[in-house]
Amino acid sequence: MNKAILSAVLGAALLATGCSNLQSNTASIRDLNDPSVSGHVLAEQVCSMCHGVGGNSINPTFPRLAGQQPAYLVEQLKAFRSHSRSDVAGYQYMWGIARSLTDKQIDELAQYYKGQIPVPGPARNAGLVAQGKAIFLNGVEATGVPACASCHGPQGYGHDGFPRLASQHDNYILKQLSVFKHTNDRYTGMGTMMSPVAYNLSGDQAREVAAYLSSQP
Amino acid sequence: MNILNWNKNFNRLREAVSTQAPVELWRTAAQKATWQGVSIALLATVSTVASMDAAAVPLFARQTGQNCQACHAGGQFPELTPYGRMFKLTGYTLGQRTSMPVALMAVFTSTSAPTNSSPNVPGSPQVGGVGTPNNGTPTFATASLFAGGKLTDSIGMLAQYSFDNYAGDTGQSGRMFSDNTDIRYAKHIINNQTDLIFGFDANNNPGVEDVWNSSGAWGYNVVPGSAGAGPSALQPLLLSQGLGQQAVGAGAYMYWNKTLYAELSGYRTGDGVFSFLTHNYGQTYIQGTNPYVRLALTHDWGTSNAMVGYTYFDANVYEGAVGSSLVDEHRDNMVDFQYQYLLDPSVVTVEMADANEQIFYGGGGATDTINTFRAKASYTYQAHYGASLSYFNASNTANNTSFQGCADGTAGNVGQCGAEGWTPEVYFMPVQNVRIGLQYTMFSTVNGTTLNASQNNTTMLYAWTAF
Repeated sequence: MNKAILSAVLGAALLATGCSNLQSNTASIRDLNDPSVSGHVLAEQVCSMCHGVGGNSINPTFPRLAGQQPAYLVEQLKAFRSHSRSDVAGYQYMWGIARSLTDKQIDELAQYYKGQIPVPGPARNAGLVAQGKAIFLNGVEATGVPACASCHGPQGYGHDGFPRLASQHDNYILKQLSVFKHTNDRYTGMGTMMSPVAYNLSGDQAREVAAYLSSQP
Repeated sequence: MNILNWNKNFNRLREAVSTQAPVELWRTAAQKATWQGVSIALLATVSTVASMDAAAVPLFARQTGQNCQACHAGGQFPELTPYGRMFKLTGYTLGQRTSMPVALMAVFTSTSAPTNSSPNVPGSPQVGGVGTPNNGTPTFATASLFAGGKLTDSIGMLAQYSFDNYAGDTGQSGRMFSDNTDIRYAKHIINNQTDLIFGFDANNNPGVEDVWNSSGAWGYNVVPGSAGAGPSALQPLLLSQGLGQQAVGAGAYMYWNKTLYAELSGYRTGDGVFSFLTHNYGQTYIQGTNPYVRLALTHDWGTSNAMVGYTYFDANVYEGAVGSSLVDEHRDNMVDFQYQYLLDPSVVTVEMADANEQIFYGGGGATDTINTFRAKASYTYQAHYGASLSYFNASNTANNTSFQGCADGTAGNVGQCGAEGWTPEVYFMPVQNVRIGLQYTMFSTVNGTTLNASQNNTTMLYAWTAF
């Protein structure tokens, strides 16, 4: 019995060692303080644990990064690194991750996610989506909310420093709108533009826009 | 409210604390064992840790720079989030090596348990509480030093060395000992087509390597002194940690596509060169290499994740000294389930474990069976406020009179014995390094009978801290 067990354990060990040899050409490094590790490796070995492989996260605590605008990602990672972005989830999760990233690694991470294919979000209530689409494309004239599309693009794909919002988790969009509306935690860089927009958006309107964007491909 | 704001709020508290060093204050509290002492020590601890930034907390938080709740559900030790499980399965190697790869943990408890010499006879003489010898007295229960973390890109470790203030049962002769140790080597092959973690693990407590908190180590009622299944229930080796720091084991594991986990390990007696990993008192011996198998299916969707798993452990345990005593085979089978909801500000964890142990006595003796079912649901809000409700139902046959029988040793109690009850708990985490909780354990069955079971009900107030 014991010999059989030992054989099984050793067999599993040998199998794993074999896998290790197959793996030898691919980096498996999760060191966040090694500037020689590429952004691509960090994205797969570290970021994927929360943001999903390819940047399509499952839990809405973590934003989807697939297809995100590189300039936006670079600005956010540098803001985490310098602690100028201090929303609660941001500092709890991202300050530590970003603390030793080099500019080169940040650029490589941004390019990696730009090259990933976004997975469309789940379908949302059709009524909410229709209302959200109207706000996204036309704004809310009565309260002076500008059309989101004027900066984020007609499909919500973003450009340059304006982030891609299409297929983003609706809960993440809602939380960020709340951060912009109620705090100065993201009052840095391009984020300064969002505070007055979010301030004039009601809770219902925010939910409608988030539902529309999360359901977009 | 975030920790930065807590820092501001605790500035005033810090000023109120004397200039005495926190360590000295702790020693004072331990010696006097009064709530005044405990309060001063806690205040010193809270004010000290509150002055640290979010990255200046225990070992792994220093390594990742992240908040406790990244890895622990709602910041509630020890329940792990999916990310926390990945951190452990990838060998504690994510992050960066720190200049201070250690952490300290301490637990203060006050337990009130009107346990009598005969749990089912009211008015029988008091012999001490369920969870601690200092019944009803504030107690500096235990402290641990953790060391390790990221060693190389593929190797990491968590080693715990503990001080049990009441190992000598009077509070005057505490004991230091090697506690849970887990050393890992892990690789992660991941790209858009493949996601495979595989690794090797060596540890000194069957189940301590697990990431779903179902086994005894890092599991249910991890706060020292918790009443658990009470004074009259036997538990399978996997849940009772009967071989914790008695055996050492090594094995291989894999986690494929965040869907299938499989592990095979073998355990042997932790003597000889391995004795530094075991208690330096009361060595239990097991015969040869004993298999531990763990399988789990997991799935993540939206804000939820779930696991259904199976564990098998078969240990041949000497009744006494090696070579001169009979060997009893303890065969454990456990099915467990876990569900978790994670979305700020709410975290919900539901755990269930149904374990069975068959004991085949050496020398052709009778067999015995232990059945244990446990369930726990917890809710944490904003990683500050929480409540949990646990249920336990443990029973065992007592066919072999040389065996423990019913755990209280009651004569003539052949047949079924065991305990059943509930433990509601509320807890508060003012900062991520401190947790204060109140547990009340209500027994509906003790020693297999409902007779006067409630007289064993236990109240426990605890304060946990790590930094």
